[in-house]
Amino acid sequence: MTIRKWIEQIEGEASVQFEFEKNHVSFATIAFPHTRGMEAILQSKPAMDALVITPRVCGICGHSHLFSAVRAIESVYANCGAPVEISQKAESIRELTLTLELIQNHLKWLYLVIYPELSHMLQEKIADSCRLKGAYAASLATKILAIFAGQWPHSSYMIPGGVTCDPTHVDIIRAEGLLDELIRWFEKELIGITLDEYVCYSSKKTFLTVTGDMKKIENMLKRTKMHEQGFSYDRYLAMGEHEFSKPSKLVNRRMAKVHSKFVTLEEAYSIDEKTYAKNALYHDDYFETGPLARTMIEGVPFIKQMYKNYRDSTYTRVMARSYEAALLLEHSKKLLQSIKLNEPSYIQPLKKIATLSGEGIGIVEAPRGSLIHSVILKNGIIDQYKLITPTQWNLSCGSPEIPGPAQKAMIGSDSIETATFTFRSFDVCSVCTTH
Amino acid sequence: MKSRPKLLWLQGVTCNGNTHSFLNYPHLSYILETFEFLYHPILPATYTLEKIASCTQSCDILIFEGAYDPRMMRAGSRMETLVQHYGSTANTIIAVGSCASFGGMFKQSDPEYITGVGFDREIAKGPFAKSNKLINLSGCPIHPEWLGYTLRMIADNKVILIDEMHRPKELYAYLAHHGCTRNEYFEWKVDAEHFGTKEGCLFYKQGCRGPMTHASCNKILWNDVSSKTRIGSPCFGCTEPDFPRTNMFETKTNMSIPQDVPLGISKRSYLTLTGIAKSFRIPRLEKRLIDDNT
Amino acid sequence: MKSESEKSVRTKKEDRKTSIMQTALKLFSSEGFYTTTMPAIAKKVGMSVGNFYNYFSSKDELAKEIMLYISSVLGEQLREINMSEKSVREKIDMIVKMYFRIAQERPELIEYFLRIFLSNREIFTKSCSGMVCVSDFVTELMLFFDDGVQSGVLKDQDFFSALGLFMGYLGGMVFLNGEEVLPQPLHDYESAIAENIYNALRKQ
Repeated sequence: MTIRKWIEQIEGEASVQFEFEKNHVSFATIAFPHTRGMEAILQSKPAMDALVITPRVCGICGHSHLFSAVRAIESVYANCGAPVEISQKAESIRELTLTLELIQNHLKWLYLVIYPELSHMLQEKIADSCRLKGAYAASLATKILAIFAGQWPHSSYMIPGGVTCDPTHVDIIRAEGLLDELIRWFEKELIGITLDEYVCYSSKKTFLTVTGDMKKIENMLKRTKMHEQGFSYDRYLAMGEHEFSKPSKLVNRRMAKVHSKFVTLEEAYSIDEKTYAKNALYHDDYFETGPLARTMIEGVPFIKQMYKNYRDSTYTRVMARSYEAALLLEHSKKLLQSIKLNEPSYIQPLKKIATLSGEGIGIVEAPRGSLIHSVILKNGIIDQYKLITPTQWNLSCGSPEIPGPAQKAMIGSDSIETATFTFRSFDVCSVCTTH
Repeated sequence: MKSRPKLLWLQGVTCNGNTHSFLNYPHLSYILETFEFLYHPILPATYTLEKIASCTQSCDILIFEGAYDPRMMRAGSRMETLVQHYGSTANTIIAVGSCASFGGMFKQSDPEYITGVGFDREIAKGPFAKSNKLINLSGCPIHPEWLGYTLRMIADNKVILIDEMHRPKELYAYLAHHGCTRNEYFEWKVDAEHFGTKEGCLFYKQGCRGPMTHASCNKILWNDVSSKTRIGSPCFGCTEPDFPRTNMFETKTNMSIPQDVPLGISKRSYLTLTGIAKSFRIPRLEKRLIDDNT
Repeated sequence: MKSESEKSVRTKKEDRKTSIMQTALKLFSSEGFYTTTMPAIAKKVGMSVGNFYNYFSSKDELAKEIMLYISSVLGEQLREINMSEKSVREKIDMIVKMYFRIAQERPELIEYFLRIFLSNREIFTKSCSGMVCVSDFVTELMLFFDDGVQSGVLKDQDFFSALGLFMGYLGGMVFLNGEEVLPQPLHDYESAIAENIYNALRKQ
């Protein structure tokens, strides 16, 4: 039996065609029916315009695109023998605003997608006010972000050589106040214990002390048997370099370095439906990227413990993303304290951008995983711009013989509903996937 | 209980930026209580997109996000059909964002077919061209307060005055320049030498469109805290029909003379004033605001 | 509301100032700027020295006002050219002709600019810094250049590079003419000069 389902309330829409046999999903084809041709839009534009255009790839992770774009342009500078100098202050501010974008994403996803979906599956009511908690918390995170970036979404404040902002202690104190408010909210609503206690968890046992919405969600995941399904390849990839994530891959418990030259794209598998997505592969293999990959690679004890019990199930995947929000809140606190205001925000690159001809690549860890921008400039004009988004890894559509990570995770589900939930556990974003 | 006005949020060619910007609105509960959302890409709603796509419902307010491509398919239905059906049942059509208003960023995806819902750049075109139901909330993205204002005005049965581009005057009569913290540098023509400082005006070199852009960004601050120009980024003029322009981080000049001058001011008057203002050296404006921080 | 008589008093004072400046310009031209004293100018215009100072409080003030006056005379001419429907190439012709015509008909205006304003900057630094006293003229030149680049005829370059090329050339020719070095009358050179300027400034 073939059942086609429109997956909505994601960023854009996806169409998943399930093959259902003997009460189980035997295969699923993922199609993304829309594209905006971002790469073509970027063609022939002055390099700096990429900093305005690429954030518009996505309304929820545009800041990650900005960061990738600026890293890509800076890498062209380096490849042209004129490396750009960046102050520690600018680095910290960039890292901080990226971190805040990840936090808003995870909290919105948890309250506006995961919690309602679980409630729906269990036929339990969820109040609108409960869903709106996610929007409230996210708006606090973006408020802090905007102190440095001017606005969210769609800021363009990162530029080759640093950032455009020039904050004072007034801004830092304001940001600290708001972050404190966000952490208090997180403690009160989501976990019922202190953030310090939560991020110091070393074994799953202690999760019992967690109360709040996180406890309810964890419980619902168990009741829907999400710890027994949704297994993918157990292969993890994180390519962006940050204080919170090292570029590595993890396969069979073995960590290895990664290099962008091994990243390739292939056409998505499709039966009869037009899809604009292209599959991303590393060394010709599918990899899972995103919070589960990052926390596994970083060896976060809490997630490792869950992995030990439930491997890379949908349960672990959802918990990893939720837990990463906590880790990133802690990280934001440290970053805010580390900003050295006496350093310059911006160091003018020695070469004029209009003189640059060459290639560059910019990789960051976006909310959903590794995001790659690669660019070829000719006299400062974009000759070619290529985007590889995190969802292209996770939501790759492979053949029945070699399915992509999300497809593999859905195969074996006992209902379309649980398979769909597993699909959502990857945090679907169609606008990024096809860009 | 009085039945609530039915609101439908439909998306065309979009990045979802307006959806996410609106999630920052501090009074979302009020909106959810006052309006019935037939469909919304993220917020709780009565129907699925599939149900909406069958064109069996009717709405009072149609919110359209993204550029309009009549050929686009949403959940199996052609966009042209969807827009025709819901547009005819709605009393008000709100184009949110510059793509929906004028074509914006994603008009470039397929310039021949893609437009806004009532304008193609500055020319009236599209399914709601010249419709007196149309309200444009341009901006890339919209500020949540702009949509919040519009919806509350509708809920309270108040008249929204609009300009010739169908934008509410109370939001767009201002320029992004109004309230900019760099205004004094603009007055005395002290330009920012480079990025990354709180001093200096971004109009002369860095491409700032503030004095030519209808927007209240420096009046109603972004995320309640800031704006592009306040953190040293130029205004890109994202509320105007010609957004996105090219070379957005550079001021277009002809022999060092800015091609575009503040809105409604003749170039002759502007250059005369500039020549005079530039000739005065004002040490206070040439110095950093806070020396010790440098 | 001001009465008719008040208005005419003001206009009269302006006219008087203009005629003083014209006289002063001629004296500066024939006697030299430094050697011409304020009482000498007063005498020439038939005015008591005391009354004369009601019009110009100092020689520096007079010098600055003269520069403003010249700039506005040239600016007015250039403005007319700018407002005409002619092509950029034709406008260059018109500017060259206009400049040489003024140099012939009222040589003291151009001489003052070249010999006094540009060579005695110390007099003007206080009240006339930058381009304040030539702003009428410079603004019109800016508008001419801006229009030329926007219409795709002139090459986009730094304003001062273009200004120097254009005005330096014209000033130099007027100077050579004044020194009686030129074998031909000034207007004989007009079309060649206009063509050179056009070739130097146009988009390649």
